[in-house]
Amino acid sequence: MTLEPAVEAPAPKQEARARPSAARPGRVAWRRRRGRPLLNLASALIVTAAVLYAAFLPAGPLPALGPAFNPTTGAWTMAADAQVTDRMLRLAGLQQPVRVVLESNGTAHVAAQTDHDLFLATGYVHARFRLFQMDLMRRQGEGRLAEVFGKKAVDTDRFELQLGLLRTAQLEWSQQPAGDPSREALVAYAQGVNDRIAEAESTHQLDAMFTLVGYQPKQWTPIDTLVIKGDMTQTLSFDDTPIVVALINGSLGADLASAWFPVLPPNHQSPYDPGPYPKAATAPIETMRAITDAEAQSAEAFYQSLESLPSGLLKTEGASNNWAVAPSKSVSGGALLAGDPHLDLTLPSIWFQLTQDSPDFHVAGVSIPGTPGVLIGHNQHIAWSLTDAMNQQTFFYLEKQDAAHPNQYFWNGAWQAYKKVEYDIPVAGGATQHMTVKLSVHGPVIADRGLTTSVWWGGNLPSQDLGVLLRVSQATDWKEFRDALRDWHSPTHNFVYSDDRGNIGLISAGYFPQIAKGQPSLPMQGTGESDVTGTIPFDAIPQSYDPPSGFLWSANQWQVTPDYPYYLGTANFYDPGYRANEIHRVLSAPGKLSAADMMALQTDTRDFLASEIVPVLLLALSTEQLSPTESAARDLLAGWDYRMETNSAAASVWWTFWQSYLAETFDPWWKSRSVKVKRADVNAMLGQDLESWTLTDPVNQAFSAPGVGSRSAAEAQRAAFHKAVSTLKKSLGSNARSWTWGRIHTRELTNLALVSDLSYGPRAERGDGNTPLAAGGTNSTAGPSWRMVVDWGAGSFQGIYPGGQSENPASAWYTNLVDTWWEGRLAPMLSADQAASAKAATRWSLEP
Amino acid sequence: MRLYVALLLAALLALAGVLLGWWWAPFVTGLVFSAQERRARIAVPAGAAIGLCSWLIPLAVAHERYGLGATAQSLAAVMGFGHQGAIPVVLTLLVGTLLGLAGAWLASAVRGVVPATR
Repeated sequence: MTLEPAVEAPAPKQEARARPSAARPGRVAWRRRRGRPLLNLASALIVTAAVLYAAFLPAGPLPALGPAFNPTTGAWTMAADAQVTDRMLRLAGLQQPVRVVLESNGTAHVAAQTDHDLFLATGYVHARFRLFQMDLMRRQGEGRLAEVFGKKAVDTDRFELQLGLLRTAQLEWSQQPAGDPSREALVAYAQGVNDRIAEAESTHQLDAMFTLVGYQPKQWTPIDTLVIKGDMTQTLSFDDTPIVVALINGSLGADLASAWFPVLPPNHQSPYDPGPYPKAATAPIETMRAITDAEAQSAEAFYQSLESLPSGLLKTEGASNNWAVAPSKSVSGGALLAGDPHLDLTLPSIWFQLTQDSPDFHVAGVSIPGTPGVLIGHNQHIAWSLTDAMNQQTFFYLEKQDAAHPNQYFWNGAWQAYKKVEYDIPVAGGATQHMTVKLSVHGPVIADRGLTTSVWWGGNLPSQDLGVLLRVSQATDWKEFRDALRDWHSPTHNFVYSDDRGNIGLISAGYFPQIAKGQPSLPMQGTGESDVTGTIPFDAIPQSYDPPSGFLWSANQWQVTPDYPYYLGTANFYDPGYRANEIHRVLSAPGKLSAADMMALQTDTRDFLASEIVPVLLLALSTEQLSPTESAARDLLAGWDYRMETNSAAASVWWTFWQSYLAETFDPWWKSRSVKVKRADVNAMLGQDLESWTLTDPVNQAFSAPGVGSRSAAEAQRAAFHKAVSTLKKSLGSNARSWTWGRIHTRELTNLALVSDLSYGPRAERGDGNTPLAAGGTNSTAGPSWRMVVDWGAGSFQGIYPGGQSENPASAWYTNLVDTWWEGRLAPMLSADQAASAKAATRWSLEP
Repeated sequence: MRLYVALLLAALLALAGVLLGWWWAPFVTGLVFSAQERRARIAVPAGAAIGLCSWLIPLAVAHERYGLGATAQSLAAVMGFGHQGAIPVVLTLLVGTLLGLAGAWLASAVRGVVPATR
């Protein structure tokens, strides 16, 4: 940058410098003198424009630098936000003073004198620590991500607006009766969130991510809360399985598809409700038909569009554990309960830990920011946790259309007009997009390329599930708990229960859709005959109370035996059941169990599948000529306890072998039949098949794929073993003892805004997808999102989640709970009074 | 002396603006200061200094009160600079400086043109 002397006051030196040129005759000198100030002005204008542009507007990955880095109101305020100190503040809408105590680890305790104030203060506390997360979650469900993140989020927004979380939430809100306690809770909660937004805006304490992304949060409404509940329902129960099976059917044929994707699980599972069951007159599920080319093409187009969406919008493999132990098997003499729901592990976590105390509520546990109640926890008399029940809640329908009847579909013998809903999708940095969603009687049309496909999804049924959760948290015994769950719709959950009188129970509450006839594991005809006709009666859903065995457990397994008379879904909707089998194995062992045993089981790394397959593999290898490295690998397996520990080399051999065995068996089919589905997407189901064939049908035709020739399971195992050892040798060296599991298996807690440097890990981790300590994949990003153990006999309540209470990465409460969780330890769940008297607690006094 | 008083006054005004959330205050202050000061070689660096001070002082106070290390690292991470916490600090001070400098230079350049066209 040069400064032009011409703009300054005349000075002797400059005059001297200017004289020679002034002495020059003619236009050149005049132009030079005249040109310098103009050039200077032009330079100044360009620099000013550039500075102001960068200051006012975002450019590439950089935010608008002015507001973003303003030291007093910009992103630097996250430093002040990270400080949590004693304070008194006034909140609009409060009826009475409220006490909030924050433990040194961030756990919040809200004690209010009215229920209204309890939920208002909960909304305030949630928003104080998680407002950006809450805003992201409502934006996701409401199709408003592109408004702040631009074009890259448009597909997600379109998908969500098609699916209809917002429509359902609006309908639910309109159906909430005036004076209903859950309506009052939603209104009070929204007020609390808005109190925090107003406070944060006035004190420039909004989460820094708002500043960096460059927008302000809108007012919170009860509908936003209902949408967030819908987000969770979607993650746990919206399923593309029928589309996947249709594609496989189109490639492999109906016979193989029905054999490999059966209705009932092909392997041994451990149902928690063994019957007897009520009799029911339900139509049997039809044999799988061959799908047409048009159906296959339509399914492929839809499958590809779903594949392009971010992970987490569709249900993937389930993984959660819970169980309860009766006093007869408990060291303390009281009932035990343990729960660890497995979800995507993010920073901040999906959970926020708190206690709520008011005239009608005394509950402790974890809540989802954006919602007013505790989802998993305990009160003074009962404790509960939940796992996904995994039944089919998504049904696809091929709508019959005709060019002579535009914008109509044929249903129940007549042409019906599609309802239409119009949406605008604002796009940051781009033009607002418009979309029209068509609705048939089944639900939204979600695929229009080829055949028109609509979807019936349980999550689109208006429900009062939040009210159910509030009643659950107030229940004092099994009857009240069970009665509250009568109205629970979706997602269907296995609710485990224990109480202070020594009772235990488990019930798979929710909607179990039944169809009149048809093949629900494929897209069905939308003309009416295959419609959902209702649900399994509440008294007939899987459930058990105080069983003679003295324990109950669920881990997304098939809940019932094959005698159960109702349709739940096909086997590939469910988990393969290895975690459930392992939990059952431990709980059914002789002897009594303590809270410490519960914690140990939550971090159990024994792979049940390995315990079944490895002996068979060793037998197959007994006659095989092996290289020294292969012999060493075989010896590792022979001396292994089936535990997927980070220092176990056998664990690496087993896991690599199993992947290789799957590939050896199924990849030739995938290649020769050009299957359009990624094999990895259906590995859980294929694994059950392979397990079953290996143990009971070693000459199944699946081992003799086209181009492979006739062979047995043992031959496939030997080939897979050679390849597995070769793979490990290539990547980890020739010393088999050095192939420890921690070298190839890690876990990562992903930052919610996908800022990799604000994530935790990847860090070497034990467990795998089959172990109670769930850690699927080579870099696991999902797993036990909360662990809780309750021992009523000892009066102990403990819990932990991986993360921290604050979403602010500069806060000490961003990752402070991770290490405790990683080590498999839990933290005491203090009552509000215990917390108030604890050292280093922070106290807030909220005044009306 | 008058120059120093004017400079101090301008810096205080810019600082007050920044404290009120008006992050563009250094630009306006630099503009006004430079419009009053005929000598570009003084006005433009002074504008830059006003901008730097008005953003540096609140940042230094915040560091003293809360410690900005973790925040700087977090901001660097969000911006894709790993954990290089110095980068957002430098960037922040640069923004303040450039705002003051741009305002001062613009006013100074306009002054240079206006008399010449008379």
